Amino acid sequence: MNDRVRIAIVGSGPAGLSAAARAAALGLSHLLIEKTDHLSDTIFKYQKGKHVMATPSQLVLRSDCDFEAGKRESILDRWNGQADAQAINIAYNAEVKAIVGTGDPIAGSIQKIVERKRDGTSETKEIQRFAPPYRLTLNDGREVIADAVVMAIGTQGNPNLMRVPGADLPHVQYQLDDPAEYNDEHIFVVGTGDAGIENALGLAADEAQGNVVTILNRSTEFASAKAANVKALMTAAEAGRLAIMTESTTAKVEPGFITLDSRDGEVKLKCDRIIARMGSAPPRAFVESCGIEFTSGDRLAFPKLSPVFESTAPGIFVIGALAGYPLIKHCMNQGYDVVEYINGNRDLKPADEPILAAKFAGLPEKKSVAEWLEYLRANVSILEGLSPLQMREFMLDSEVRAYRSGDLIFEKFDPGSSLFGIARGQALVEVASGVEIPIDQGSIFGEVGLISGRRRGATVRAGADSIMVEVSRTAALKLMSSNPPAKRAITRISTERQLLQMFGAGLTPADLADILDTAEIRTVKAGEAILTEGDIGNDIYVIRVGSMIVEKKIGGKNVFLSYLPAGSYVGEMALIAGGPRTATVKATVKSEVIRLNGDAFARLMAAKPALLERARRDMAARQDVNAFVESRKDSFSTVVDMYSETAKFLVDNGIGEATDVLLIDEHLCVGCDNCEKACADSHDGLSRLDREAGRTYAHLHVPTSCRHCEHPHCMADCPPNAIHRGPDGEVFIDDSCIGCGNCQRNCPYGVIRMDSVPPKKPGLLSWMFFGAGPGPGEPSKKWRYKNAESGVEKPKKAIKCDMCSGIEGGPACVRACPTGAAIRVAPEDFLTVARLGGEAR
Amino acid sequence: MSFLVRQISLTADGREIVRATSIAKSQLSLGRAAENDIHLPDLALEPDHARIEQVDERTVRLRATGTLGFELEGRTVLRAEIDPAQGAELRFGGHRITLSRGEDGATILSIRRIDAVSEASEEKEEARVFSLRGLLPGKRLTAWGLAVAILIGFLAVPIWSYASRPANDTRNIYTVAGDRSWSSGPLSQAHHALEGRCETCHQKAFVSVRDSACQTCHKDVHDHAPAARIAMARAEAGLGGKLLAGVAAAFGKPPEGACVDCHREHEGAGPMQPAPQAFCVYCHGTLKDRLKDSKIGNAADFGTSHPQFSALVQTRPGRYPSFLRRSLDGGPTDDSGLKFPHDIHLSATGGVAKMARTMKAQYGFGDALACKDCHKPTADGVRFLPVDMERDCQMCHSLAFETIGGTVHTLRHGQPDQVIADLRAYFRSTGPVEPPALGGVARRRPGDYAQGRIYHAYFGAAATRPSRADDAIRAVFSKGGACYDCHTVTPPGTNGNANWQVLPVHQPMRYMMNGWFDHAAHRTEKCESCHAAPRSHDARQLLLPKIDSCRTCHGGEKSKADVPSGCAMCHSYHIDDGAPWAPATPSLDKDMQDREKLTNSANPALPRMPEPG
Amino acid sequence: MATPAASPIRRARGEVLHDGFLRHAGFRWLKIATITCVLSIASYMLVDVTPHHNGGSWYGYTMGTIGALLILWLTLLGLRKRAMTRGRWSLKAWTSAHVYLGLSLIVIATLHTGFQLGWNVHTLAYALMMLVILSGLFGITVYASLPTALSNNRAEMTQVQMLDAVRAIDRQLHDAAQPLTHEQAALVRQSLEDDPFGGGLVSRLSGRYPRCATARAQAALRRWTGDTPDTGNDPLERVDALLERKQAMLARLRRHLKLKALLEIWLYIHVPATFALLAALTAHIVSVFFYW
Repeated sequence: MNDRVRIAIVGSGPAGLSAAARAAALGLSHLLIEKTDHLSDTIFKYQKGKHVMATPSQLVLRSDCDFEAGKRESILDRWNGQADAQAINIAYNAEVKAIVGTGDPIAGSIQKIVERKRDGTSETKEIQRFAPPYRLTLNDGREVIADAVVMAIGTQGNPNLMRVPGADLPHVQYQLDDPAEYNDEHIFVVGTGDAGIENALGLAADEAQGNVVTILNRSTEFASAKAANVKALMTAAEAGRLAIMTESTTAKVEPGFITLDSRDGEVKLKCDRIIARMGSAPPRAFVESCGIEFTSGDRLAFPKLSPVFESTAPGIFVIGALAGYPLIKHCMNQGYDVVEYINGNRDLKPADEPILAAKFAGLPEKKSVAEWLEYLRANVSILEGLSPLQMREFMLDSEVRAYRSGDLIFEKFDPGSSLFGIARGQALVEVASGVEIPIDQGSIFGEVGLISGRRRGATVRAGADSIMVEVSRTAALKLMSSNPPAKRAITRISTERQLLQMFGAGLTPADLADILDTAEIRTVKAGEAILTEGDIGNDIYVIRVGSMIVEKKIGGKNVFLSYLPAGSYVGEMALIAGGPRTATVKATVKSEVIRLNGDAFARLMAAKPALLERARRDMAARQDVNAFVESRKDSFSTVVDMYSETAKFLVDNGIGEATDVLLIDEHLCVGCDNCEKACADSHDGLSRLDREAGRTYAHLHVPTSCRHCEHPHCMADCPPNAIHRGPDGEVFIDDSCIGCGNCQRNCPYGVIRMDSVPPKKPGLLSWMFFGAGPGPGEPSKKWRYKNAESGVEKPKKAIKCDMCSGIEGGPACVRACPTGAAIRVAPEDFLTVARLGGEAR
Repeated sequence: MSFLVRQISLTADGREIVRATSIAKSQLSLGRAAENDIHLPDLALEPDHARIEQVDERTVRLRATGTLGFELEGRTVLRAEIDPAQGAELRFGGHRITLSRGEDGATILSIRRIDAVSEASEEKEEARVFSLRGLLPGKRLTAWGLAVAILIGFLAVPIWSYASRPANDTRNIYTVAGDRSWSSGPLSQAHHALEGRCETCHQKAFVSVRDSACQTCHKDVHDHAPAARIAMARAEAGLGGKLLAGVAAAFGKPPEGACVDCHREHEGAGPMQPAPQAFCVYCHGTLKDRLKDSKIGNAADFGTSHPQFSALVQTRPGRYPSFLRRSLDGGPTDDSGLKFPHDIHLSATGGVAKMARTMKAQYGFGDALACKDCHKPTADGVRFLPVDMERDCQMCHSLAFETIGGTVHTLRHGQPDQVIADLRAYFRSTGPVEPPALGGVARRRPGDYAQGRIYHAYFGAAATRPSRADDAIRAVFSKGGACYDCHTVTPPGTNGNANWQVLPVHQPMRYMMNGWFDHAAHRTEKCESCHAAPRSHDARQLLLPKIDSCRTCHGGEKSKADVPSGCAMCHSYHIDDGAPWAPATPSLDKDMQDREKLTNSANPALPRMPEPG
Repeated sequence: MATPAASPIRRARGEVLHDGFLRHAGFRWLKIATITCVLSIASYMLVDVTPHHNGGSWYGYTMGTIGALLILWLTLLGLRKRAMTRGRWSLKAWTSAHVYLGLSLIVIATLHTGFQLGWNVHTLAYALMMLVILSGLFGITVYASLPTALSNNRAEMTQVQMLDAVRAIDRQLHDAAQPLTHEQAALVRQSLEDDPFGGGLVSRLSGRYPRCATARAQAALRRWTGDTPDTGNDPLERVDALLERKQAMLARLRRHLKLKALLEIWLYIHVPATFALLAALTAHIVSVFFYW
């Protein structure tokens, strides 16, 4: 059979559903194609009762389907209801296999598809695009002809399937909605990613359920999973709650049994259920095959889209998460907009217009949003490559401001990871007091903060009346990933600037040209050495991202010399003094270094005595440190070991990438937990730290609390982009959090928890005198349950340490420690040999 | 006949998981061992614990195989018969089995574990079990308990007992009055009787003790001086003083000069302490600056700043003598109208001494005369009685002039007219067998002397003089005559007297009217050490010691002197003629030795303790 | 070093790293307290109060006022500690001050009494104050000495983990004991029924549990295991091993409890005594002005 519709909508998520609803409302013939048997699979898969948020709040919803924050169930029910009510034409259990134009070939429109293989090689195949209408081939063989196609399939993609005999049996499933459903079963979990491990743990959590859970691992270690998860899995296995089978793969699946290839040959085991979590293939390949081009090869890249979401394949529109909009409201608006457009409505302003308008309101002259976008794009070099649509999106998480001449833009040591682009006017960078380097229109500044995640290295003022675009970290990263030229530009400039800022000493960009040409950026894995004691070599390394530790072998022991944060450089000793490397320099976390050719640098130094002088001074400083440690090693050898052991321990515990970490000196800690109580009481009743948990070495305890990493893992994937670095360098989550839990999963230190605000406690005095309420600190679950106001269901949001930003007096945990055991330190303060003197006392 | 066994287990989040198995047997075995039909992994059970048997429709029989029974509706039994239709609740160890009947007639045994596997596995609240809570009474409770108890016991009760005290409190001081716990210390001996009757002094709550309270008993205390003057005299306070005064006023303390300022109470049993020097010095230290008209010099400390004594001396003797206060510095003279050379009397050689020796036996004199031979102390020993002719002089200075058959005729001392009369009478009678002895002291010679004897060296005189009364009278009153030697005599005619006049003698017993000197307290000293009598040739010389000689022993209240002496030792605030007030000290008995110790080794324990009179 | 971008403020933080509440800010409060004491003693010597020093003299009242205010302020630590108000205060500094000024109170208050003590409310207040201070002294000592031991003993284990460990062993015990005969099972049950947090205050503080059911159970079981050779599969042997482990775990738990107990026991005197003191102080002051 063969349907003919005006619009085919692929995917029934918020975007697709909204589009379909619009189409239905406009009376356009349409088909909503959903591969599962229910609408909006992604939300459907949320855990039961999950509270779904509606952000950004200031964005108006423009759709025929309602949506407001609420329980997963209520939202789905409403959508189902409305889908029926509005007579949306839905094809369930229908998965689109291919989309091909049925019209004539479009001249010169050829789609290149680069297929990347595991081994790194890649092959390119080309396909000729054909004009609409398009033929959509479904998995059940049906075919649908549509003039326009709206792709709203999200990024979830399809789970990788098992490819063994019997893999299609009903008891093989690719997701686990509620672990509590299953009792007394022999369950095998295949795949050792976080998803697999979490499922396995969930199934085995409660022995009352009597499940016999086994998790299969192809290899011996769990490379693809988070450390925290692996640890949990191991403890569970030790406790005998589940079994881990390493180096074993599935061979055959039969009802009630599974056959495995394990180290010791084939084994057939009782098996009532198989949960296969072997990751999912991103939909990209399929999308590309439809003739839709992506902005870059980057994994994070999105399809190339016109301002109206039209892809490179004319008549195919891409909206929703796939187009780079993870938020439900965006999606629904786009569904509406795109259908309106297809229906010929050309002058419909995007729904985010007011937001942008607000951003531009502060600027001197009055332009329309579109004009402003164009103006910025044209005037800021790194933005040139952007499409109007990308500009819109880009501006949504950026700011634009006007400065009068001489206004302060940011000050040295201000924290800040944003990038500034000069749309008009000029910026003056104060390299030394009095010495100011101008940066002119079109160029950028502040990139060091962006790249190293460190505090600002210099004060910047507006040189003339100017308009500056402040690009938030996320926006900048998105920009760099989606727009290679921008990335190159930023990298080059940043490298140059970093060198200028580091060596100062009257260098000009011109001087550096030579070096920059030879400079190369290298990524260093954690623990990898860039310099090894005793090696020959004279290259200079500048730490761009991450941090390093300097070690020296003394009496066979590696003695920790110092900690180098991003923005430091090493290797000058060998270059100036000659001879082999005097110490080993290792990365504490995944880092990036700029490798400068030693000879080039030598030439530069020859040309610039000031630079040489500077380098000598740094060298002298380090030689002192070496000498200091050498001198100590006899008298205080134990102290030295102790110290470097401690330093190593801290680095292992992520201090390396921390900017500010809470430590507890257990010589002083009496375990009163006042830090936790203080934390809870200054953050509406929820403690963001667990004093007791965490590692301890030599009575130095690293509690589970946020380290405010230079490059926070939690920021990596936050749909509402609710995680920011605040004015004091703290990483915090604002209240636009939608409670998706990504950050919790991404944090390697397990310092983020999902919880809802507990009910209000009675006043402190009434507790002190009459014992009313649970007292200071986080109320017990029981109390919270008892006192929760009924009916009101509070959303669980992600909470983490925000270093008490905005609370005068600073971190409550430290202020509230009665014995002075709790201390907050920046690694560079803590990990210096200077402390050794202190310890030795 | 079959059983439906429903094993119910709970998940951590309280979900029920029911595992139902139906066993088509009429009898089931129940126990810990795995081979039982109903296998309960419960250590409280025996491996083979009980049998459950379906006897008929309406009867299920249970019996324990071992000695350990099971609980049926709370009672431990060994066997039981149950009608499944009615159902029952059984308890085997940590498990509860509810027996009921299903629609299909099968007997349903729903089994659920109700006890946790172990004590530790019971739900525990971390905060509680890991702390001392539960082992000790809570802090809050104890705090309240103690606080309330104390507030009741030491605040409420005292106030109540104050409020509810009978007007005339007859209880003795040892009945526990509620507010005794408020007393900051025992009262002094003097007020001991008031112990526990707080309101006698503290008359109104929150009003500090007023003078009126003291005056209810101490009615007749003299004021030190008119209030106005005292006010004027008071040194205006320094900054600190002003502050203190201000604070005191703010707290409703009466202004300065209140009784309690000097007389502090609750300072411990024992005598109340005399006012310390400081209280006097406050005004007197610099009195002159403020009271220009005051005759009193500034006195801050006896040892260091105390004006020279001034004595009340007689400037003009006679029937109407006149007195003046004179500082001893001016070496004032005190004319008592008597002639008496101390040096002659006290010298160890010479006539007087010889004469004294002759009379040792009779009058207990020493080898020479001593002060005590003529000066007799008053009963209390504080002062000395005036010298009395008859008692203290006559033994040597006889006024006898004839004896008739043993009786001795004596001129009447102190009555000049009588003397004249006697003599006239004597001469009117027949001529004397012997001429009367009317000579003065000068012409008596040692050896032939004795009371009542007649002096025979008279013949000469008799020979040279006609025996005529007037002559004799003149002889007595004139130079060389008996009276003239000691008294100032005015012949007839002068200032209109028809007769011989003898200037009346006035011997003061006290020279210092404002200071108090107690001779008794100084008995250990020799008279000479203070009074320079042995070298005094003229009775008009005032033999009072100057302040310096006192200072050899006495110093200021806080001084290192042998006898640190506060003002109160010699002066009393509430001025009267009596001795300055000094506390009764039972601790000291009046025995001489004690006093010696005290005065010689200035006992620091009782520094300002004046000698009892 | 090269250019570590860190502001001077952070440096400052870095330096005060390891000074606890006792050596806070170079013993600032110790110094202040000492000076206070010296001054009070000196003035006591110099000021001449007649007939002799007592609470009723102006000097006494001054000392009394200072003392009373001090006591009130010291009491406020309890509030300060829990009221997480904003502002640049550091509880460490407060504790430091609390400790040293609290000690100086010994001198101040004693001078206030002028050594006139008796059986009255005034001396009661004094006695209570001394009680508070002495308990506080105990607190200082344990705070200074025990934390290290606490940290060593728990070896990165949290309290909940300790409890869970015991629970896990219990579960295994329970399963392992299934095949045992009833009287043997009864012994195991003894151990299971035994509350690891049981035992009175004495046991808590001493860390000695003479009636520890686990130990007894093991001892009793040894009667069976003693003579039989250890064939790996004898359930008794497994139970025995488990009991061994449980004992080890209990030992750690109990050491932990003991240390915790020592760290907080004194507060059970310190705090109530403080409030008793406040009450007595009120009575003292009222009485003084009531009979004024």
